[in-house]
Amino acid sequence: MTKEDVFSKVLDILGKYSKSEISADNISMETSILDDLKINSARLVDIVLDFEDAFDIEVDDDDADSVITVGDGVNLILSKI
Amino acid sequence: MVNLHFKDKLLLRLQHFTGWVTFLVWGTALIAGLRFFLRYKIPEIKKIRRTFKELKKQAEGPVLICSNHLTKLDSAVLNWSFASIWSYMRSFKVFSWNLPERENFYNNLGLRVVCYLASCIPIDRGGSREGIKKSLDKVAYLLKKGHPVTIFPEGGRSRTGRIDLEKFTYGVGRLVNQVKDCSVICVYLRGNNQESYSSIPRRGSRFYLNMELIKPKSEFRGLKATRDVSSQIIEKLVLMEQSYFASVGQ
Repeated sequence: MTKEDVFSKVLDILGKYSKSEISADNISMETSILDDLKINSARLVDIVLDFEDAFDIEVDDDDADSVITVGDGVNLILSKI
Repeated sequence: MVNLHFKDKLLLRLQHFTGWVTFLVWGTALIAGLRFFLRYKIPEIKKIRRTFKELKKQAEGPVLICSNHLTKLDSAVLNWSFASIWSYMRSFKVFSWNLPERENFYNNLGLRVVCYLASCIPIDRGGSREGIKKSLDKVAYLLKKGHPVTIFPEGGRSRTGRIDLEKFTYGVGRLVNQVKDCSVICVYLRGNNQESYSSIPRRGSRFYLNMELIKPKSEFRGLKATRDVSSQIIEKLVLMEQSYFASVGQ
């Protein structure tokens, strides 16, 4: 799976939680999930759990803490698959 | 894993000691303020104190107290209801630590001093992940040392007046999984005329308080276990809320 594939799937997941419009045109690897997409920090765990299901990976609490930007999520997934 | 520096552990011990040696002054003033100035009443306070003592004994290990959250005085009312001033004087370790939001309680020196003495660990909700993690590490350390800690799993005062399932956080599940044999005392607290959230309960409020001990376990690992345990706690609180409203005929 390429980085672009992972990025695209991550955007689909984020779209379920953000009230902002999510597309490859307005989101970059540097986009902050909490600040830019206005996603409640409590829901960040749900997002990482969706990563687990979508990519068949397992993430522990400390790894989940490292996810701040979209790029952090993509790189975390790439390191696990 | 708890990553807490020796200095942080020492500061927590110092805070606990300072709170204890000054408790007779600030504890008496606080409870007198709740009872006589705000005219709050907890009708079954002796029974509640016996139950709390019994549940702590049954827990046989670290105890996390998880309560619903409607006012900024919830932690104070809870500690008032759990034990008498004399019990706290004899064993201040029974006094529950709690995690107030820094923005609400640390904006003036007087409140900061009271919070320090009253075993508070400020937390920046929505703040940096490192800051929140450090606060949770302090809580885990205290739980392992046998101190009870009160946490509001809803992550703030419920804006709906009922248990807020939208905003509940997974920090509680993480703590329970992090601390071996951690039990949870779920508490439902509500003033008799508390329709929704507010800064403080209305003057003259009479408090309903119910508590139950649970030992959440999960068959999952990692984040799924965290979510599973958090869900068990919040679901228990929802059931307790339903019991409350059934008992008052709503």
